[in-house]
Amino acid sequence: MTEHLLLQAVADTANAYRDFPVIGSRAAIWIAAEIHLMFAAFVLGVPIFAVVAEAIGIFGKDQRYDRLSKEFTRLLLIAYSATAIWGAVFVFLLSTLYPKFWAYLTAIFGVSMWVYVSIFFFESFTLYLYYYGWDRWKYGRAKIVHWCLGILLNIWGTIVMFIADSWLTYMMTPPRDITPETSPTSIKLWHAILNHTWMPINIHRLIGNVVFGGAIVGAYASYRFLAARTEEERAHYDWMGYVGNFIAISALIVLPFAGYWLGREIYQYDQSMGITMMGGFMSWLWVIQAFLIAVLFLTGNYYLWIGMGRIPGAERYRPYTKWLLVVLVIGALVWGTPHTMIADSRELVAMGGSHHPLLGALGVMSAKNTAVNLMILATFLSFLLYRRANIRPVVPWAKTGTRIQAAMFVIAAAIVLFFGIRGYFVEAIVRIGYSVYQVGAVLACIVFVTLIDVLMARGAQSLGAIQWGKMPPRSQYALFILAVTFTWLMGLMGFARSGIRQHWHVWQVMQDTSPYAATPALGYAAIMISTCVLIFLSLVAFIFWLGGLAEKSTFVPSTVEAPHVGQ
Amino acid sequence: MWANNLRIIGVVLGTLALYTLIANKIPQVQSEVPRALSLGANFTPEQLVAAGDQLYHGAGGCTACHGLGTRAPNLLTDEKGQGQIGARCGKRESGKDCKAYLYESLTSPRAYVVQGYEPIMPEMGRILSPQQLWALVAFLESNGGTVDVTASDIPASSTTSTTSTTSTASAGIAGGSTDPMTIIRGAGCTGCHKISGEGGAIGPELTHVGSRLSANLIRESILQPDAKIAKGYEKFKGIMPKTFGHQLTAEQLEALVQFLAAHK
Repeated sequence: MTEHLLLQAVADTANAYRDFPVIGSRAAIWIAAEIHLMFAAFVLGVPIFAVVAEAIGIFGKDQRYDRLSKEFTRLLLIAYSATAIWGAVFVFLLSTLYPKFWAYLTAIFGVSMWVYVSIFFFESFTLYLYYYGWDRWKYGRAKIVHWCLGILLNIWGTIVMFIADSWLTYMMTPPRDITPETSPTSIKLWHAILNHTWMPINIHRLIGNVVFGGAIVGAYASYRFLAARTEEERAHYDWMGYVGNFIAISALIVLPFAGYWLGREIYQYDQSMGITMMGGFMSWLWVIQAFLIAVLFLTGNYYLWIGMGRIPGAERYRPYTKWLLVVLVIGALVWGTPHTMIADSRELVAMGGSHHPLLGALGVMSAKNTAVNLMILATFLSFLLYRRANIRPVVPWAKTGTRIQAAMFVIAAAIVLFFGIRGYFVEAIVRIGYSVYQVGAVLACIVFVTLIDVLMARGAQSLGAIQWGKMPPRSQYALFILAVTFTWLMGLMGFARSGIRQHWHVWQVMQDTSPYAATPALGYAAIMISTCVLIFLSLVAFIFWLGGLAEKSTFVPSTVEAPHVGQ
Repeated sequence: MWANNLRIIGVVLGTLALYTLIANKIPQVQSEVPRALSLGANFTPEQLVAAGDQLYHGAGGCTACHGLGTRAPNLLTDEKGQGQIGARCGKRESGKDCKAYLYESLTSPRAYVVQGYEPIMPEMGRILSPQQLWALVAFLESNGGTVDVTASDIPASSTTSTTSTTSTASAGIAGGSTDPMTIIRGAGCTGCHKISGEGGAIGPELTHVGSRLSANLIRESILQPDAKIAKGYEKFKGIMPKTFGHQLTAEQLEALVQFLAAHK
C-alpha cells in the first residue's frame, strides 16, 4: 500500500512539471509574466492620465492637452496588442510547464478567468471607439460622451487588473482556513478573492501604473525631442516630457504610503513572511530599492532644476537648489543604510555585532522614515519653486501667504524630525504608529501649501513665457534614466512580492516541488530583471517607432505661454 | 539621428548594467527548500538531532530570529541566565515536560510567547512535516538537555518510508561514497564552510585548511567541533553538528581528513 502511494506521489510530481529548453521553466515564466505585467502597467496607467489630459483640454479649453491625450492613446493601441500577446504567452507557458498548479488555480478562479476575458474584450473595443472616434466626436456634447468613453476604458482596465490581482494575491496570502488538504473545488471564489493583500496590491498597482505610464511617456517625449527637426516639435515634446515626469513623480510621492499598507497587511497575515521580506534572505533587496529610489528622486529633481533654466524669473530660486540637493543626498544615504542583514561571521566580527555600532542607528525605521519624508518635502519644494518660477503674485496677502507656506514646511519638517528622534526612545509598537504622524504632516503640508499657492497665483504677473524646447539634451537623458529605473524597480519589487512565497506556489498550501523551487539570490534576479527590462524597452521602442509611422504629431507654437500643470 | 539613438542605447544599457552589477556585488543569499525527511523504524537520536540541526540552521529559517538577541529568545546560547533551551524547556510550563513543551511551541507558538517578545513566530506545523518537527525538538533538547524523542513520538506512517536515514547512516553520508567532495556536499558542510570557491562563509574556509591544521586536528574538529574554536569564530561555538562521528563511516572519515589535510 505504502509503495503504491509512493509510486503515485512520484507519478504526480512527474506530471506536475515540464521543463523549458535552455533557460528552464522558471526563467521562461519569469520573462513572460514580467513583460506582460510591464505592458499591462503601461496600458492601464496611460489611459488614466489620457482621460485626465482630455478633461483639462475640455474644461480648461486648452487644445494642447487634447492633442497630448490623443497621442498617448495612439501609443496604447499597439501596446494593447503587445499586452495581449504576452498574456497569451504567459498563460500557455504556465499551463504547459506547471500543469498541476495551473489546474489548481483554474479550479478556484475559473469563473473569474472567464469574466476577465470578457472584460478584456469590452476594454479593447472601448479603446478602439475612444481612439477612432476622437475626431468624429470632437465638439459639444459628443466630446463629453467621448470623454466618458475614456472613463469607461479606465473602469474596464481597473476591473481587469483587480481580477488578475486576486489570483496572484491568493498565491501569497490564501485565507487561513485553506490548508493543503482543502479541495480547490470546495473553495468559494469570493472567499479566495478577498484575501489579505488583494486590496493593498490593487491600490499599490493602480498608483504604480500611473507612475510607470508617466515615466514611459516621458521617455517617448524625450526620444522625440532629441529627434525633433523644428523648434515647434522640440517645444511640444519638451512640454510632453515635463507632463510625463510631473505625473510620474507626483504619483511616486504617494506610492510609499500604499507600500506601507501592503507591508503592514503582509505582516498581519504572517509575521514570518514579513520577516523574510524585511530581515531574512531578502533584506539586501531593500538596500537596492533605496538606491533606485534615490536615483529617481535625484534624477527627477535634476530634471526640474535644469528645466528652471528655460523659465524667466527662475534664477531667483537657483541658490536654493544646492540645499535641496544636500537634503536629498543625506536622505538617500540614510535610507540606504542596512540594518538587520543576513551576515556571515567575518562581517559580524567586523561590525562588532549583528548591527553596525554607528550606521546601525541610521538603519532603523525611525531614521529611514524621517529621511524619506524629508526627501518628499524637498521634492515638493522643487516643484513649488518650478511652479512659481515665472510669476509674481499680485494678491495683497502674497507676502503673508509665502510666509505661511514657509512656516508649513518648517512645521512639517519639525514634526518629521521630532517623531523620528523620539522613535529611538519608545517601544516598537509605539514607534510604528509615529510613521502615521510623519506621513500626515507631509501630506497636510503638500495639500495646504498647494492650496495657498493656487489661490496666490490668481491674476499673477508673468515674468515671461516658458521657453519650451530650450532644454539641453542631458535633461532628456535624465528622463530615459527615470524610465529605465522605474521599470527596473517594478521588476525588483515584483521579485520581492513573488519571492517571499519562497518554495510555495500557494503559501503553505501548495508546495513547489519542481527543480526550480528554491528562490534565487538577488544577483540572479537582477540579471533576469535586466533581461526583462531590455526586452520590454526594445519592444516599446519599436511601438514608438510604429506610432511615429502611423501619424504625424501635431504641435502648438512655442510662443504661446503655457500654463503650468495644475493651474 | 543615429548618434542620438546610440547615446540613448548607451544610457539604457549603462543604467541596466549598473543596477545588475550592484545587485551582484552584494552578499548573495538564496532561499533553500527544506529537504524531505524520512525516518526508518530504527533511527537513532543522533540522526534525529543531526537532521534537526540542519533544519534549524537552514530551511527551517529559525536563525532569522533566534540568536539575534532582539526578535526572539536565544535557544542555543544562554537566555537571561536560564541556560540553553534544553536546560530550561522542562521548567517553562508546569506539568509539561520538555518534549511536549517544545513540540507545542513549534505547532502553536502563540500559546507560549516568552515575556518581552512579540508573538511573531509562525506555526511551524504549516511549514514542516511531523518528522521535521520532531527532529527540531530533538535538536533543541540536545542543546543543554537530554534527547528523549523516540520512534513512538513520531506518527507511524512517518517512519515506514522506503528511504530512511537509518539506511543512510549505516552506509554513511552520501550513500557511503568515499569521494571527499561528495561527502562534503552530502553532509552539508558547504552550508557554512567554503571550499574551492563553493559554499557559505559562516565557518572557517577549508580551501587551505591543511596549511593551518594537521590531519589529527582536522579529525578532532570533525568529531568534536567545539573542542577548539578557530580564532574569530568564537561566537559560533555550538553551531557545528557534533554527530558526524555517528554519521560517517570510518572509511569516509579518513578519506575526508586526508583530503582536507592535503588542501594546503
